[in-house]
Amino acid sequence: MRYQPVIGLEIHCELLTNSKVFCTCQNEFGGSENTRVCPRCSGMPGTLPLLNQGAVRLAAKAGFATNCTVNGYSSFDRKNYFYPDLPKAYQITQFEHPICTDGHIDVAGGKRIRINRIHIEEDAGKLVHDDYEGVSLADYNRCGVPLIEIVTEPDFRSAEEVQDFVTQIAQRLKYAGVCDARMEQGSLRVDVNISIMPFGSEEFGTRAEIKNLNSVKSIGRAIEYEIQRQSEILDGGGKVVQETRRYNENRDDTKPLRSKEEAHDYRYFPEPDIPPVLLSEEDIEAIRKEMPELPHERSKRYTEEYGLPADDASLLTAQKEFSDFYDEAAASEPEYRMISNLMLGEVSHLLNETGSDITEVKFSPAELAKTAKLAADGTVSKGAAKEIVSIMFKDGGDPRRIAQEHGFIMDTDASGLDEVIDKVLAENADAAEKYKNGNAKLFGFIMGQAIKACGKSANPALIKEALNKKLQ
Amino acid sequence: MDLCELRKKLDGGDIGAVELTKEYLDRIKRFDGEINSYITVCEAEAIAQAEAAQQVIDKGGSKPMTGIPLSVKDNICTNGVRTTCASRMLEDHIPIYDASAVSRLKNENFVMLGKTNMDEFAMGGSSQTSYFGGPKNPYNTGYVTGGSSGGAAASVAAGLCAAALGSDTGGSVRQPSAFCGVTGLKPTYGTVSRWGLIAFASSLDQIGVCALSAADAGYVLNSICGRDCNDATTSPIPSGGYTSAVGSDISGIRIGVPKEFLDGSTDEVKAAVLEAAEYYRSLGCTVKECSLPSLEYAVSAYYLISSAEAASNLSRFDGIKYGHRSGLGEDYNELIKSSRSEGFGREVKRRIMLGNYALCSGYYDAYYNNARRIRTQIRKEYADIFSECDVILTPTAPSPAYRIGVQENDPVKMYQADICTVTVNIAGLPAISTTCGYSAEGMPIGMSLIGRAFDEKTIIAVCDRFERDHERRECVL
Amino acid sequence: MVDEKLTAHLAELSKLEFTDEELADMTKDMTDIIGLMDKVCGFESGAEPYTLEAADYKALREDKYEASYPSEDILRNADKVKNDSFVVPKVV
Repeated sequence: MRYQPVIGLEIHCELLTNSKVFCTCQNEFGGSENTRVCPRCSGMPGTLPLLNQGAVRLAAKAGFATNCTVNGYSSFDRKNYFYPDLPKAYQITQFEHPICTDGHIDVAGGKRIRINRIHIEEDAGKLVHDDYEGVSLADYNRCGVPLIEIVTEPDFRSAEEVQDFVTQIAQRLKYAGVCDARMEQGSLRVDVNISIMPFGSEEFGTRAEIKNLNSVKSIGRAIEYEIQRQSEILDGGGKVVQETRRYNENRDDTKPLRSKEEAHDYRYFPEPDIPPVLLSEEDIEAIRKEMPELPHERSKRYTEEYGLPADDASLLTAQKEFSDFYDEAAASEPEYRMISNLMLGEVSHLLNETGSDITEVKFSPAELAKTAKLAADGTVSKGAAKEIVSIMFKDGGDPRRIAQEHGFIMDTDASGLDEVIDKVLAENADAAEKYKNGNAKLFGFIMGQAIKACGKSANPALIKEALNKKLQ
Repeated sequence: MDLCELRKKLDGGDIGAVELTKEYLDRIKRFDGEINSYITVCEAEAIAQAEAAQQVIDKGGSKPMTGIPLSVKDNICTNGVRTTCASRMLEDHIPIYDASAVSRLKNENFVMLGKTNMDEFAMGGSSQTSYFGGPKNPYNTGYVTGGSSGGAAASVAAGLCAAALGSDTGGSVRQPSAFCGVTGLKPTYGTVSRWGLIAFASSLDQIGVCALSAADAGYVLNSICGRDCNDATTSPIPSGGYTSAVGSDISGIRIGVPKEFLDGSTDEVKAAVLEAAEYYRSLGCTVKECSLPSLEYAVSAYYLISSAEAASNLSRFDGIKYGHRSGLGEDYNELIKSSRSEGFGREVKRRIMLGNYALCSGYYDAYYNNARRIRTQIRKEYADIFSECDVILTPTAPSPAYRIGVQENDPVKMYQADICTVTVNIAGLPAISTTCGYSAEGMPIGMSLIGRAFDEKTIIAVCDRFERDHERRECVL
Repeated sequence: MVDEKLTAHLAELSKLEFTDEELADMTKDMTDIIGLMDKVCGFESGAEPYTLEAADYKALREDKYEASYPSEDILRNADKVKNDSFVVPKVV
């Protein structure tokens, strides 16, 4: 039997603050064991948390990026459980009054995924297993790194919707400077809650929670695996167990994870050491004003104002720096389409080939725009424009000078052209004859030969015109 | 000699800081074997601090606390000096930082004589739950000191320090001060930083002062109070000047006496408190009966809130990062259970169990949340009283100090004895306890003056006036 | 009335272990104590549960980092240390 999957997400994102959420240790990835630790984040007796304003600000921005309401009143709670990566034996989180609520993001196909809440909490430390002695070694560098948790409603019905949502979240948070969203480093971690039910049913099944998903691809595979696994259980007359499962990338399966605490009673209560936070309307407005244009907003601008195809717009906006580059180029020369074509064509190709990033290229957005302009106004051919990009990519330089030095400037007078065309037609008399007899396909071939004969400065428009005349 | 006078003598060269410290250290050696008010005596450090203080004094740069020898309760972190909370769990724990109250005193070059005995993790009213054995009442060593700051109060009463830092979560500075015949000041919540005070119940804990007089208590408070960026619950309201009203005319002050507090007290206590009320009336104060109707809920609400917070606060003690680590236990879960079970005493275990009961699913709303509702209600009832009164007069405890060994194994009776003090913490108010009489057995009887939030100045002045007209009996060691 | 099953559950949440005798004693203590606590269940009023007074966003700590503590200080009070880390037995 085929079933309808029902999926909700919990996404943890590490915030790009300078310091940790409740102490002044530096917020940074990695480092030698226990070197970014203080009495506060290691939970020493007598210490108290000190909420970081920057974490509140970034969490509010995450709310703006996902159409949430940013609440004027939010407060902190303790989630109590024992685990060696949690030195206080409670995690400070927001349970009753989260900072953001009621958001949404539209995924491909126009479907709206509701976001229940975004709350601030602290990350735990890391345990390294020492197999030699059969013990674990606790490193608290990551303790107190600020996190937000984005909790969606169970609105997803396919892996594709989930993947699109996660991709969008990652893009938006990166744009907003909230999170670097590196799934492979764990700075963005997605937990998938998934159940299945017969198509047409309204009653959700028992869900499993899948952890350890470190790429958008893994998310898709894990969901497919889980649908399959749960379907087999139901088809066999069994019952799905509510549990947490871990995705294994190499085996491409999920296995149950041992629970953190058998009792599973977190005994949440209001954190007495942190006063609730009041954000005034002015505070909220000031944070909103800091929001950059988000990828979906840019994409809309590109299609509506610049007339770009939707696919191109979404490709251009996938990475903020790439899109920033395009924006700057477009601002210097309004050759929107041509710049887009160069960026999605030659530039992307060269970046991929060399494994480099748009921020590292040797030419400026204005230089790329100039190249586009040269092609658009007929100074050079489109093919030559690509070659200019390639030369700038390698060595930099002014596009017009490159065009001149390499002889890319197209001929604008047709005086010598007749002679060359006659020669080409003579050399390809057979083809010319066949074309005249109705084989229209051969025009391209003859055209190619003519361009070759004209060299780098060939002007395809003029050649075409001359050929048409001669072949009539 | 009060601290103001001592300051003058130190600054005037009549008394040397080192001699003064040595005198106290000498008394500690002579008498504390019996009293057991100190867990750790810092002889060498104290002398070094006194020498440093003397240099400051000699240069004319002394501050109010320079060279004044204090004791510090052993739940207040002191960098490099072991801080045990009177628990096996922290028997060898040496903090790597100072509590803010201590660093402020260090900035004034005070002298720390040592760390005082207490109930384990400040949970108790007798100090008998100390892992190091309970302290004894200097008035009669067969009697308890009260608690949890029993060592602090006893160290002051026995003349083993000039004043003491204690902590008060439900009466832990005021009640032992009453039992030991000294003055105990619990400031408004948010007046003294809790940074470095090993948390029992975060929303109720406040560092306070045990001293020989109200003026002395205010004098010390002036040096430890104020907003601290390390504790988000400290108040931004300007602090200090706590002794500024001492000596001023208190006639016209309106004193409320809530009838519910007297109902459960012994006749001796009731008589002593009413006599104090009469004394104030004779000075021209208005004394009137008032009411705190929700007092009947206070003890239960207090124990639910404080135990819930304690259960969470004490979860960090697992023997792995610090504290007692058991030799038993193959895996993480077994190890932390053995460490905690060996490290904590019985009363601490009871409170943790009770706290988890209050917080666990199924009981949370009926117990913990109702306790929070009662807290709101009690705050409101205090606000109502303060719309008509300036100060509230109550007994500090329903009875004077009792004999060691009498009540300890009856938790319910122990808890109920906190009735006179817990509402002050629930409402976050300041209160001061002083001696208002002596029982037939010769044990001190305490009365408390409760003030409006951040109005320590008034209760200190009103308390000071009483102390000037009523002589404190010295205890004979 | 608290039974031993509830006491055992609370002990698990509290990460405490008791011998049979201790468990029986603790069950008696908890019965008495919770008997006293039951008083709050009868409280009825429109009062909202108390919460701390809120603080202004602008007064929160500015997002700046400072030097951390040396790891040897952080590890000083730990009983077992290896590779500058706290040693934890296997989590089962």
